[in-house]
Amino acid sequence: MNYFPEEVLEHVFDFLTSHRDRNAVSLVCKSWYMVEKFSRDSVFIGNCYAISPERLIERFPRFRSLTLKGKPHFADFNLVPNDWGGFVYPWIEAMAISGVNLEELKLKRMVVSDESLDLLSRSFVNFKSLILVSCEGFTTDGLAAIASNCRFLRELDLQENEVEDHKGQWLSCFPDSCTSLVSLNFACLKGEVNLASLERLVARCCNLKSLSLNHGVPLDALQKILVQAPQLVDLGIGSYVHDPDSETYHKLKCAIQKCTSIRSLSGFLDVAPPCLPAVYQICLNVTSLNLSYAPGIHGTELIKLIQHCRKLQRLWILDCIGDKGLGVVASTCKELQELRVFPSYVFGVGRAAVTEEGLVAISAGCPKLHSLLYFCHQMTNAALIAVAKNCPNFYRFRLCILDPTKPDPVTMEPLDEGFGAIVQSSKSLRRLSLSGLLTDRVFLYIGMYAEQLEMLSIAFAGDSDKGMLYVLNGCKKLKKLEIRDSPFGNGALLTDVGKYEAMRSLWMSSCEVTLEGCKTLAKKMPRLNVEIINEKQQLEASPPDDRQKVEKMYLYRTLVGPRRDAPDFVWTL
Amino acid sequence: MGSCRSTDSSSSSSNHPTDLSFASSVSLSKSDLSTDLRLGLSISTCHDQHSTSCPREQASDWPPIKPLLRKALAAEEEEDNHPTFFVKVYMEGIPIGRKLDLLAHQGYCDVITTLDHMFSTNILWAKEDGVMHSEKCHVLTYQDKEGDWMMVGDVPWEMFLNTVKRLKISRPAEKCLY
Repeated sequence: MNYFPEEVLEHVFDFLTSHRDRNAVSLVCKSWYMVEKFSRDSVFIGNCYAISPERLIERFPRFRSLTLKGKPHFADFNLVPNDWGGFVYPWIEAMAISGVNLEELKLKRMVVSDESLDLLSRSFVNFKSLILVSCEGFTTDGLAAIASNCRFLRELDLQENEVEDHKGQWLSCFPDSCTSLVSLNFACLKGEVNLASLERLVARCCNLKSLSLNHGVPLDALQKILVQAPQLVDLGIGSYVHDPDSETYHKLKCAIQKCTSIRSLSGFLDVAPPCLPAVYQICLNVTSLNLSYAPGIHGTELIKLIQHCRKLQRLWILDCIGDKGLGVVASTCKELQELRVFPSYVFGVGRAAVTEEGLVAISAGCPKLHSLLYFCHQMTNAALIAVAKNCPNFYRFRLCILDPTKPDPVTMEPLDEGFGAIVQSSKSLRRLSLSGLLTDRVFLYIGMYAEQLEMLSIAFAGDSDKGMLYVLNGCKKLKKLEIRDSPFGNGALLTDVGKYEAMRSLWMSSCEVTLEGCKTLAKKMPRLNVEIINEKQQLEASPPDDRQKVEKMYLYRTLVGPRRDAPDFVWTL
Repeated sequence: MGSCRSTDSSSSSSNHPTDLSFASSVSLSKSDLSTDLRLGLSISTCHDQHSTSCPREQASDWPPIKPLLRKALAAEEEEDNHPTFFVKVYMEGIPIGRKLDLLAHQGYCDVITTLDHMFSTNILWAKEDGVMHSEKCHVLTYQDKEGDWMMVGDVPWEMFLNTVKRLKISRPAEKCLY
């Protein structure tokens, strides 16, 4: 391969965008390794503690785009204490010092301080895109720094972050010279923004395609914004409350009619249902609809809205839609590929909920369905078997029965057979979350059939170590395994310790694993960080008994040893 | 208090949603009174037959949804669960009665204002003692738990809510003289 000049190789490698392909290419020979190394443009790091920023920069000196993930997935459900870790500052600092030409940064489940955002905004002249998903630790002051200093900012996308509001008018910090915004999403912010500044910003950013407003933006402001941005493709509506007989509403209707490019709709954080008819026009062309933060839309209004969405491919909804509503979805949205149904009541049973009926209807009406997240009150084996037959293309199947150990209410049996049918039929299944009464048998099926499975979430399931072992032995491509409240112990944990180096991480909480088991594992596998989270026990107290069960264990492969930023309650063994 | 309320109120609370969320929702309401009434008025026990699932469903790590979504839904639930307490109101001489949600009102004055509108009249109640206007030709009375008919306005509002079963707007003259 020496007869190809490097520029040609580089040009060829440009066509390789997937990380896997690029990684494979690096292994061919030294010269390919070097060419690939200097031309790697974007890097994905699934666990920020698996590698250090210095080593990243050394390995790929010219990357421009970085994706980092911090906390384990169960942190989304309050299972990981605050201050566990996942700080982005050291990464930004290292990149700034080394002169990395950072243009894009995407962070998920990380702690982002205002100092980090400030440093980020001042260190990278070509910085274009900041995407923060489920992050925390920053305030609107940090956003003000980004707005003020990032001259060529194209994208500021805040998805479901916990942001402290400092009432500092951050949005007004975008200078008049900023005209480059393509995407602005601040739906998760709790505070107010300066509406006049927002309107002017939208007016001067003629390439703005994606805009998601928070509930501080009322309907009359929305109307003025839409007049300035008829080219929008993705719209997140903040507050949608007004008198449908008013002139403002009428003006809104006219403005909306000119927005013929909208394909994605979300928000409705506050809503007066009588105002919904104005958006029916948009719905005709919408391919993605996210109403998961719109509990104010339910009943007949919800049904009417959905009936207009014939081209829908992605639908995120609350369970107040009910089984009947899902029936309407099934008969209307024939192109549906992704469905998420979230619970609408957190304090108990709500008005309407969904059961297996709704899911079966969807599977029958929407054969293209390949991604599902479904919170429901009950599920039957028969239903899961029918779903498996109707939709054999799932790559993501996540079921959550609100009473987590509920059996099939018709037969009173565990749901092993139902899930077995799903894994057997969907041969490309990559992600699976289980729920309901489940024995070791379901894991036998998963180990046997789920050959492409990369991520598995288990809660309140299984009878013995055998269950976990079926999975560890059978699922060759498993990368992430997270388990809570299940009877798996040291036997399962220690049987095949080498497996964990082939995986990104393992989480086990409220299981049968003991401190001794974890210590044994840590000793055998030096390239794993085995972290114990023990909030209750103080380090000063009498040395913990090895036979004690471990509350929460999180282990992950790493090239850089135990992390130095672990808080007191995290012990790396 | 709870137990005797539930049997009495089952008739007057026919407009009550048999909304099971009522029974199980954690009380974050503004007043203790609303809680008492809600607990008293809720006939069914914890939702479904799965009373064991109550503690699980109120934990902050189940169901597994993101904290931001959890907060948004909790806020909505809070708003949604405004309790209601409808009582029958009859105007003497008119066979068809009306229904009034007492919990939608802040106090006696509020109720009187609503009733004035509902029945297109001026209503007399206990707070206006001593001043006998001929224009105010109706008196508001209520039937309490013991079945007795009393003049509205003598007892504190909260106590009134706990004891009222139905209202009657009575004809003038003899009844007005105090």
